[in-house]
Amino acid sequence: MTLALLVSAAGFITVGAAGASRARWFARAVTLQAAGAALLSVAGSWALASGATVGSGFTSGFQPRFGVDGLTAFFLMTVGAVAAPTLLYARSYTRVAVGGRVVAALCGVFVLVLVEVLCARDPMTFLAGWELMTLLPAAMILVARPDERSRHTVFLYVAATHLAGAGTWIAVLLLAHAGAIGGPPVAQGSALQAAIALTALVGMGTKAGLVPFHSWLPRAHPIAPAPLSALMSGVMIKIAIYGLVRVLIDWLGVLPLWIGVLVLALGALSAVGGVLYAIFQHELKRLLAFHSIENVGIIVLGLGACVLLRARGDDLWAAFALGAALLHTLNHALFKSLLFLGAGSFERAAGALELDRLGGLLRRMPWTGAAFLLGAMAIAGLPPLNGFVSEWLTLQALLHVSAAGGVGDGAAGAVALAALAATAALAVLCFVKVVGLVLLGPPRRAAVAAATEVAAPMRAAVAALALGCVALGLLPALLFRKLVALAPWRTPASPTVSLHLPGTGALPTVGVALSLILLTSVLMVLRGKRSATPAPTWACGQLVEPHLNWTSAGFSKPLRLVLEVILRPEREIAVRSSGRVIQEVSYSGRVPHLLDERLYKPAVTLGLDAAHQARRLQTGRLGTYVGYLIALVLFLLAAVKVGAIG
Amino acid sequence: MTAASIAVQLIGGFLLAPLLPGLIQHWKATLQGRRGPSPIQPYRELRRLWAKSSVTVEGASVVYRLAPAVATASLATALLLVPVAADAPSLGVGRDALALLGLLALARFAVAASCWDVANGFSLMGASRDLTISVSVEATFVLAIAAAALVAGTTDLAGMIAGTAGGSVWSGPALGLAAVAFALVVVAETGRQPVDNPDTHLELTMIHEGPLLEYAGRDLAMLQWGAAARHWLMLVIAAEVFLPHPQAVWQQLALLPVVLILLCAGLALVETLVVKMRILLAPRLLMVGAAAALLGIVSWLVQL
Repeated sequence: MTLALLVSAAGFITVGAAGASRARWFARAVTLQAAGAALLSVAGSWALASGATVGSGFTSGFQPRFGVDGLTAFFLMTVGAVAAPTLLYARSYTRVAVGGRVVAALCGVFVLVLVEVLCARDPMTFLAGWELMTLLPAAMILVARPDERSRHTVFLYVAATHLAGAGTWIAVLLLAHAGAIGGPPVAQGSALQAAIALTALVGMGTKAGLVPFHSWLPRAHPIAPAPLSALMSGVMIKIAIYGLVRVLIDWLGVLPLWIGVLVLALGALSAVGGVLYAIFQHELKRLLAFHSIENVGIIVLGLGACVLLRARGDDLWAAFALGAALLHTLNHALFKSLLFLGAGSFERAAGALELDRLGGLLRRMPWTGAAFLLGAMAIAGLPPLNGFVSEWLTLQALLHVSAAGGVGDGAAGAVALAALAATAALAVLCFVKVVGLVLLGPPRRAAVAAATEVAAPMRAAVAALALGCVALGLLPALLFRKLVALAPWRTPASPTVSLHLPGTGALPTVGVALSLILLTSVLMVLRGKRSATPAPTWACGQLVEPHLNWTSAGFSKPLRLVLEVILRPEREIAVRSSGRVIQEVSYSGRVPHLLDERLYKPAVTLGLDAAHQARRLQTGRLGTYVGYLIALVLFLLAAVKVGAIG
Repeated sequence: MTAASIAVQLIGGFLLAPLLPGLIQHWKATLQGRRGPSPIQPYRELRRLWAKSSVTVEGASVVYRLAPAVATASLATALLLVPVAADAPSLGVGRDALALLGLLALARFAVAASCWDVANGFSLMGASRDLTISVSVEATFVLAIAAAALVAGTTDLAGMIAGTAGGSVWSGPALGLAAVAFALVVVAETGRQPVDNPDTHLELTMIHEGPLLEYAGRDLAMLQWGAAARHWLMLVIAAEVFLPHPQAVWQQLALLPVVLILLCAGLALVETLVVKMRILLAPRLLMVGAAAALLGIVSWLVQL
């Protein structure tokens, strides 16, 4: 059954991708791709629910093998659940020019590559898919935006993911060499185990956008067209999480404590760092990209808790921590693709996405706006939506790290707990700002005031994703049970339907949602409709003029001042006055990215300088090269003479 | 006894909560040598506001109209979630201390979104300050709860009340340090000096009152009741988890009003003695609390 569904899904997507290159068949072909992706999601959920494995198991050999197990099934479901609405969206979003058609076709191919990585059961197929997964988005961005800046960004993206991506290769090849893929895990506490874990963290962490390997992500994700941004942020970085789960949880067995603490530290740094810099972004898609870093951080916090709890022998809570991380993976895939697609719709309807120049779109685009509002509340971790559930689970897992741990890892768990709580509060701040500047208040440009709702497929796509966020917020326990069972060790018991986890006060999601909705409705009825004549906003008796409106920078100013020591914001104020009358004040401020400024810029400068020095060797004159050859031969002869080689 | 616990939780939370800010205001006036309003003044204000019509702001959307109801509903749900004694049953929304965080955040989100909707600069100033301070409040809150949860062995609030009862848990410093942290959370969440000044009506200095500027009538009544409910939530948790309390349920219930009144008197005293600090220094104060709670957790881990 799973196999039949998977094959037909792949068939639909292949045919759709092939058909999308013809302008005449474009709409039908892309719809076919979306249907294929939906089938993929069904196949994944079916395999996850039935718990059956299909195809071959993992092998350390190099013959191509494919198969599906529980973890793969879950990620297939995630890919399908995001890709189906995204491709449906692409049907209306993409302009049927040559570039647009190529991008739409490649989107289908990209989904197939993701499926290949997930179903690969041997190291070679896995690594081949991994590379394709990196290169395809680069190709798509270049086709969609053939300008100088995009080319530069794509170069940066490919360079970063390849330089650090070597880590993935080393980790997987070392594992294959040790026979740990599909075999017994590497010896516990050995240097090999530590080396594999560290290289995997660097390689796959780069792909996932973990701080400090994240530099490419906020640059590459925003410049892609909306459906591709949604696929990259929603799904591609999740495949890196899949890799991390495979290596850290599945293949390496029980890891030493210090690696667990390291994973927690990376997660906490990404979560806080991601959201902190997101707050100071003033362009919507770039802001969303920074939030991907934050959410990957939250997922990795769950994984770190899992590693630590496993090392401490608390297998039940280790399984819950894994379940929390996986649940947040799906949740983030849903609301992040929803937000990126929503941003795409706003861009279509109103032009640029500069936060200070939007406003009032909830009224003008009620469907997209309402879905976007739900997505923003979900990513901010507010009940009764899905982000709240997985953040609550992660908080509980981190608390149990402290409860199960010694002094060192217990304290690390507590610090991570505080970091996650602060992250949640910062995310609320950030998304109140986004919702306020984009959806609420008066429109701040003529184009925004004239914006109208987008085409039906684009509305349907965001509505479907919003529905997913609500459903997972109401009934997470159905899925969570299955995710807990994915742990490769035996779990003593599984939670019941409403998240009654031992050692917690339980989270009856339906009860909370019902209470919130019922009480709100009762209060709205009690409030009645009686109201005074509409009056303008009160501003000390002044007229509220458009340029008195608050800006993104203004709303985040208190935070910027509180964190001045860490963020080191820059600002410039130029006052032009003639006589003693001030004619003009111009203000510009920015929050430079600390890691970019302090780590990457010097590193890049150093690299370029070194390259410059090395170029002196290249004179372009034949004589020089002949000289090099003679010198080399002489050196080799001398080496043979003294017995160093040969 | 279970019925009594539920009765105290519901009647106390929903009906008597406005008495808490009333008492604080009353005693604060007395301490400052003024006659001041009667303790039931908040009820009079609620009655007055309920009789008035709400105000519609030009250009505001459905978010502005829904926000007071959503904020109040989430605080009311929080009242259902926080038990007053160790034997209180779950009222359908669980009893988890960390879930409380989400409900408080929802209330904050709703009010701040309404400020953007009416685009009132003064409201937004308050909202932005409130959210900035909430970052350190939430971190401190979680650490204080974590320390108490480690001592009690659960984050179930009823279990925490039972687990922190009696004298033996006070042999180590963990709970005491967590209590210091939680005291700061109480001050910040209830909007009291030195973090916020509830008496001021000068827009430039307000935090919690600022975002409510555009509301009137029943909307404002709901939001003011919500502020009182916040007092109840924080003070009940302080009394039943972070302060020494007896093990028997009837004693817990009997002692609760006394402790609540003492806590109100304490807040009035703090308001009288301490001046409001600069807004941007408040996060530092709260971070001191977070550090204390972390120290408490480490001391518990070492003791283990």
